[in-house]
Amino acid sequence: MHNSLNRLQSVFGFFTTVAFTLGCLIALTDLWAERTPSGVIKATNTQVVKGRPHYYSSKKEEYAIIKFSLDADLSSLFTWNTKQLFVYVTAEWPAPEAGMNATNEAVIWDSIITNPSADHLVNLGPIGKKKLKASAGGKSIAPERGLLKLKNQKPKYQISHPSGKIASAEDVTLKVHYNVQPWFGLLTWNTQSDIGRWKSFAGGVSDQFSLPAVKVKDDKKKP
Amino acid sequence: MAEEILDKVRDVVEGEIDFKGQKRAELIGTLLLAITGLIAFNVGWVKQDIVLAMYLGGAGTALSFIAVVPPWPFYNKDPAKWLPVGSGLTVG
Amino acid sequence: MLSALGNPRQAAAQVLNFALVLSTAFMMWKGLSVVADSPSPIVVVLSGSMEPAFQRGDLLFLWNRNLLQETAVGEVVVYNVKDKDIPIVHRVVRKYGTGDEAKLLTKGDNNQADDTELYARGQDFLVRKDIIGSVVAYMPFVGYVTIMLSEHPWLKTVMLGIMGLFAILQRE
Repeated sequence: MHNSLNRLQSVFGFFTTVAFTLGCLIALTDLWAERTPSGVIKATNTQVVKGRPHYYSSKKEEYAIIKFSLDADLSSLFTWNTKQLFVYVTAEWPAPEAGMNATNEAVIWDSIITNPSADHLVNLGPIGKKKLKASAGGKSIAPERGLLKLKNQKPKYQISHPSGKIASAEDVTLKVHYNVQPWFGLLTWNTQSDIGRWKSFAGGVSDQFSLPAVKVKDDKKKP
Repeated sequence: MAEEILDKVRDVVEGEIDFKGQKRAELIGTLLLAITGLIAFNVGWVKQDIVLAMYLGGAGTALSFIAVVPPWPFYNKDPAKWLPVGSGLTVG
Repeated sequence: MLSALGNPRQAAAQVLNFALVLSTAFMMWKGLSVVADSPSPIVVVLSGSMEPAFQRGDLLFLWNRNLLQETAVGEVVVYNVKDKDIPIVHRVVRKYGTGDEAKLLTKGDNNQADDTELYARGQDFLVRKDIIGSVVAYMPFVGYVTIMLSEHPWLKTVMLGIMGLFAILQRE
């Protein structure tokens, strides 16, 4: 501490310790926050069409388009440490050929919901960003952004299978998942069971359904 | 001549303070940063605003740097009384 | 500092001290690699393909052991494209099958298309061993210094210059 450089190094060193401890404390507060995610999801319309994976592919593959309705309450997942919530809906179906436990899972839709503290990082133009920030109404956390109501939502992704066949797949279920991205600390996903104050997802799994056969173009039947 | 100027620059850069001042500087630095951390966390927690916590932390840290690094006069209130040159016992 | 050159024992002690600090840091890094079973358990985010979750300069902690469950859809993983040394941090969006042979497809949150174009020729999916870790923890901004140093090499020269300046201006 006898010269300025020494003092500078000493203060900086302790600053890093304090900053890291502060971060850890903030991350720990998340364990105290109650998480009660819940939701209802169901497939509303399913279609299987033929398409090419790339414009230059020679083989045509089958793609499933699964429209769904989702009513979910993910507001309890927003704490002061939440940077964003990544919500995603997957379609899961068993693969009978590969053995008892083999399953296929593919994301059909996802959405990024930011906390106001991260609004400035979203990939929108200046007007979009302004609207987003204004929607928070000056609050630092916006749990109401976690309330989702989607009716007959078109999926973002049309899914297929490496074999190229997905038509008439049976026992397909839609599941809702979330991934909480913190400002500091561990990334977390749906929990399988209740852990402390974090409850597992109530509902969020659809009934089983089957995918239809490939849609056949039928111009002659037009009224 | 150049040696004199270099010495003067060295004096400024070194920013030497007396021993009691060093102890005081260390105490003030540690206290300020620790208190900054505590305030930043608690205010942020109560207001549930992490951005506020960050700004408070940053402000407190800047204050700590300003208070401790430059050789302020209150760190030099007790200069070590060195004996005059040549007054020590000489070995024969 | 220069006075140490006159005293070889002191110079040797300083070198040893420095080497000790370096080797301790190296041991801690390699130890963490072994525990996490990943060649690079701490990575800095280099691209914006996972925005707004990750920004350039953020620090990610990886874990490569599947202790409780297999790598699942929705996890953010780091993988190397076959035979290339470029680590990519993206999210798993599809999984076909189970076990080590399961086919995985990844996609960056901020990208429109999935990673099929990024994989090696003839490779349409990843398998578990392509993945060098799954992101478990996150620290913002900390790694930005490394990005600045690698993208603006003149900064390294400036840093060395400043250190040299201080060596001259210090009295020991």
